[in-house]
Amino acid sequence: MAKGIKIRFRPALAATLLILGFFVFVPMISAFEYSIRTPLTGGYGWTHYIWAVREEDFFHYILRSMWLAGVTVLITLFVLVPTLTWLHLSNSKVRGLIDGLSLLPLVIPVVAFAVGAQISFPEFVQNTVLELPFLYFVLALPYAFRSLDIGLNSIPLKTITEAARSAGANWLRTITTVIVPVIRGSVMATIALTFALSLGEYTLTVLLHWDTFPTWVTYVAQDNILGAIAISMMSLIIPFLILTVITLFVPERSTQGRK
Amino acid sequence: MSSKSLSLRNISKRFGNVIALDNFNLEVGVGELVALLGPSGCGKTTALRVVAGLEHQDSGTVLVADKNISDVPAHKRNMGMVFQAYSLFPNLTVEENVAFGLQMRKVSKHVRLKKAHELLDLVGLDSQSKRFTHQLSGGQQQRVALARALAFEPEILLLDEPLSALDAQVRVNLREEIRRLQLSLGTTTLFVTHDQEEAMAISDRVGVMNNGVLEQIDTPDVLYNKPASSFVAGFVGTMNRIPAHITDGMVEIFGSKVVALKRGNETGKVHALIRPESISVAAATAQGNAKVLTRSFMGASSNIICQTADGTIVQSLMTSASTGDLLPGSSVQLRVLSSEVLVTNV
Ligand SMILES: Nc1ncnc2c1ncn2[C@@H]1O[C@H](COP(=O)(O)OP(=O)(O)OP(=O)(O)O)[C@@H](O)[C@H]1O
Ligand SMILES: [Mg+2]
Repeated sequence: MAKGIKIRFRPALAATLLILGFFVFVPMISAFEYSIRTPLTGGYGWTHYIWAVREEDFFHYILRSMWLAGVTVLITLFVLVPTLTWLHLSNSKVRGLIDGLSLLPLVIPVVAFAVGAQISFPEFVQNTVLELPFLYFVLALPYAFRSLDIGLNSIPLKTITEAARSAGANWLRTITTVIVPVIRGSVMATIALTFALSLGEYTLTVLLHWDTFPTWVTYVAQDNILGAIAISMMSLIIPFLILTVITLFVPERSTQGRK
Repeated sequence: MSSKSLSLRNISKRFGNVIALDNFNLEVGVGELVALLGPSGCGKTTALRVVAGLEHQDSGTVLVADKNISDVPAHKRNMGMVFQAYSLFPNLTVEENVAFGLQMRKVSKHVRLKKAHELLDLVGLDSQSKRFTHQLSGGQQQRVALARALAFEPEILLLDEPLSALDAQVRVNLREEIRRLQLSLGTTTLFVTHDQEEAMAISDRVGVMNNGVLEQIDTPDVLYNKPASSFVAGFVGTMNRIPAHITDGMVEIFGSKVVALKRGNETGKVHALIRPESISVAAATAQGNAKVLTRSFMGASSNIICQTADGTIVQSLMTSASTGDLLPGSSVQLRVLSSEVLVTNV
């Protein structure tokens, strides 16, 4: 597929990238510039970063947010990969319905989720921070669902699954050793989306009275706005580094005709 | 040898209103290659999928070596399967694809790769073992699929039109290769195809299916020469249907009387079923009984299509040497070469 594609100058694409870059990078670069200013001496320096890392709760909250995001990713994969595989194979009309349902988190206000969770979740769930990953999972559902759906659509799922099963793979192994590696790109995208969304979730977390990294940043920002920006810059870089490392450690295989 | 016999007893399967298999029965002996042949939609694939456990029958039993396996899930059936569509795992190399079945059986990496290379060698692809599957041609991919299906020494090999996506030449080569491998490994094989030439060429026996039932299963030779029904007669090989009339157990064809072989209670007006090679065409000395429409030269033999005085189209197959003067439009004399012909009701 990739063979023979030449890099051509396409004005529309270039314009899109330029505008996108403007909206993504200009604020980031400005924030970074702002965060390394040192008003007292007038020059640039790492004062605020050092302050942030020395803040005693910094590591506590960033670690907590990361493991919550990790749990969310696991829930997402455990629930969605088998469900979507089944939906694709059974070819039933339920698929369209579930496809539509998966979009609901986009239109239901987060406040409604929070209230709903407080009404419907049993007490012992509400008492543990583990209620968050389940709610993050719902918030990330529209994106995760679509990204896996595209992956499964792009492969001859039925034949591959049947080939695996007749060669002696049970359902679990068919999913883990065949389907997931074949749609690796979609799975990685799902992991990245879900991880990033969980890590940055603020509204729901605050409404349910939990403290995570984003809520903590807001809290410390009241005293030190430059320090808060420094922290946010780090919170942007750290997950990026983690995801890069994950990608590097999953062995590079050729999939779907691409090399 | 790990090969086993296979029996399907009274298998029925419907999809909504469609009856795909209707009290279907089939026996395949140890080491035998049986082809299932039939028109599109007659239930061939369904029969194969029921054997593989990818589809579950509504009623009836599947037996392997006389053991009922109807409730055994697909991954425990130990059957190798090659699909019509390309089905290799795109994330694995050729050798990893072939070793997949052994990997699922927890065979050590060293042993399974060794076995994979043995099989790849047998299908002539050992040099490609490190490549990814999208780098192979269609024929090579199906060879790898065949090696993958055989690597774990299955009790039964199931092939669902594995050649239909390939070019004619590759198809002929690969079918011979499948037969050679099947004979040398002695694997019990069920081969689904809608190509009768393919079925006849490589099978021990051919089963002809129609509407979810097995109409006849016999050696290619018997199937061709003694078709059990009018459907089989028409489906296997070319068959002329010539209107005739039964009197005293005889029919008159092209002016000569031959014995009518009845399948049932045929009387009165019937169709005589005659193979093209059982009809001779000769240039007429006086008034002939037919006219030549076309003559197609096919090397050693030629195909002559004639039309009789009453309008029936008749096809004849003769050695080319004796057809030199049979030009289109010329008046000819047709003759039946056999002393008995099959008849069916009109
Ligand atoms: N999953 C299914 N759902 C609904 N109908 C089906 C399904 N599979 C098969 N059928 C129907 O059952 C009948 C038999 O199908 P089958 O695939 O066994 O035919 P076949 O002999 O293999 O035909 P072909 O030569 O075209 O492959 C057909 O009428 C088909 O439409
Ligand atoms: Mg079929």
